[in-house]
Amino acid sequence: MTRNLPTVLAVVLLLIGAVVSENALQEVPREDPLGRRLLYLPSAEMLRLGSLGNPGLVADLVYLWSIQYYSQYRPYERFLYLETVYNLITDLDPLYHDAYRVGALIMQLPTTDEAIHKAAVIRLFDKALRNMPDNHEIAEAAGWDLFIRYRDRAEGIRFFEAATAIPGAPHRLHRFLTRWREEEGAWSVDDAIDYWREVREEARDEFDRLVCDRQIYRLVASRDGELLDPLLSRWQAVNGRCPASWRELVDAGLLGETPLDYFGQPYRIEPETCSAEALDAVRLE
Amino acid sequence: MRAIRVIALSTLREALRDKILYLFLGFAVLLLASSKLFGILTVGDQTKIIKDMGLAGIQLFLMLIAVMMSVLLISREIDSRTVYYILAKPVRRWQFLVGKYVGLLATVLVNLVLMSAILVVLVWLYGGGVDPRLLIATAMIGVEMAVLVAFATLFSVLTKPILGSIFTLSVFVVGHVSQDLWLLTRHLPESVGRTVVSALYYVVPNLERFNLKTEVVHGLPIPPEAIVWALVYGIFFTILVLTLACLRFGTRDLQ
Repeated sequence: MTRNLPTVLAVVLLLIGAVVSENALQEVPREDPLGRRLLYLPSAEMLRLGSLGNPGLVADLVYLWSIQYYSQYRPYERFLYLETVYNLITDLDPLYHDAYRVGALIMQLPTTDEAIHKAAVIRLFDKALRNMPDNHEIAEAAGWDLFIRYRDRAEGIRFFEAATAIPGAPHRLHRFLTRWREEEGAWSVDDAIDYWREVREEARDEFDRLVCDRQIYRLVASRDGELLDPLLSRWQAVNGRCPASWRELVDAGLLGETPLDYFGQPYRIEPETCSAEALDAVRLE
Repeated sequence: MRAIRVIALSTLREALRDKILYLFLGFAVLLLASSKLFGILTVGDQTKIIKDMGLAGIQLFLMLIAVMMSVLLISREIDSRTVYYILAKPVRRWQFLVGKYVGLLATVLVNLVLMSAILVVLVWLYGGGVDPRLLIATAMIGVEMAVLVAFATLFSVLTKPILGSIFTLSVFVVGHVSQDLWLLTRHLPESVGRTVVSALYYVVPNLERFNLKTEVVHGLPIPPEAIVWALVYGIFFTILVLTLACLRFGTRDLQ
């Protein structure tokens, strides 16, 4: 034991020296503002060859590394070669759902190059849809990201259209798509009503049907209001007051019968504005 | 048959005595530790990474067994002179070699079964459910190893132990990139070079034919004929390589 003591001490001292120097190295600032480390990333083809039949595992490792790498640099440095890295991962494993999702999320962090990164996000999601044409989740995620983060409803609609075309897509996507289309002004009210009716027929539960009814009710009321309000104005101009009921318009020959809303209830005449008003009868609860 | 069985059992026992199952323990520890670590590091579906890691780990560890055992397969028998005692009995040389092959393959398969069980349980523990398709992927790794062990057997009678290991490792590497040889032939003009590369492709085993990891990890359909033809391919290649090994061993001077 005594004979071995110097050897043991030497080993311990060497180990302490290694630990101390490692700690000292950690304190030395070693930034990589040009992303030089990324310049030496091998191509997907080389990595696939080197993986010896395990490209999925290599994709996992690069993915894990990328999460650590991109979470430790300041924003303006963070995005260097971001698209290259996530293209590499998704070339190695084209079905890697999380990589598309997380890659797009990192690209969406606020930077000075918003337009460039937005285009990269769209390219990454387009690639995801090319590689996973049956995955409505990624299309939905893309639609939300483009709509919420970039307020780009047109791109949101494009991805939601792709999502709703995939069998098994949740019904809510149809609802949002229709609403966005309406707000985008791309559709007439009649188009929107027809679409909501189709959506209602495909609804799988009572909640979805109720949401559709509410939308149809609102749209039908809006369309009818555009027809009824001018008639009310004309009657008011002739008689000097707002009619008390629809019967007075029917008697005057302006209407064939009392106008009814989507649920078969008569519209109310609002005396203050002399306009047709729908009852706010459909509530989600 | 009896001679082959006895030699195979003896080879398996010998391998177990050599603590070859420690590799299985190493695999279990590696998989458990990496799963825990990746759980902290990753964002998203952790079971995907565990499956990738586990299947690659099984392949790597089994390949290591094949490579390491090929060093000892024949040379130890010659060094310890036990081969003379065995061959002095009514045991033909080819029976001895096939017995050795079966024993080594059994060693690999014992490890494969244990590692597969660990992987299935771990995926289940991490919320991935019991995925029986994992066993299809591991079974195909088993077929791949049957081919590789045949090559290990061939090299153990062809050359020195260290070289045999290097050659077996090379077959594993080349077998996984040989598909690119085929792609290369599609890009080469009609020439002698193209014919040579095509011939080379058929001589080298295409181990990617046994690789169903992507399909299993991503839940993609696996055409039954892909499994059946891969089995046929594996069996034919194994018998071919073993036949070559037996032919060489039959004429080898064991002095």
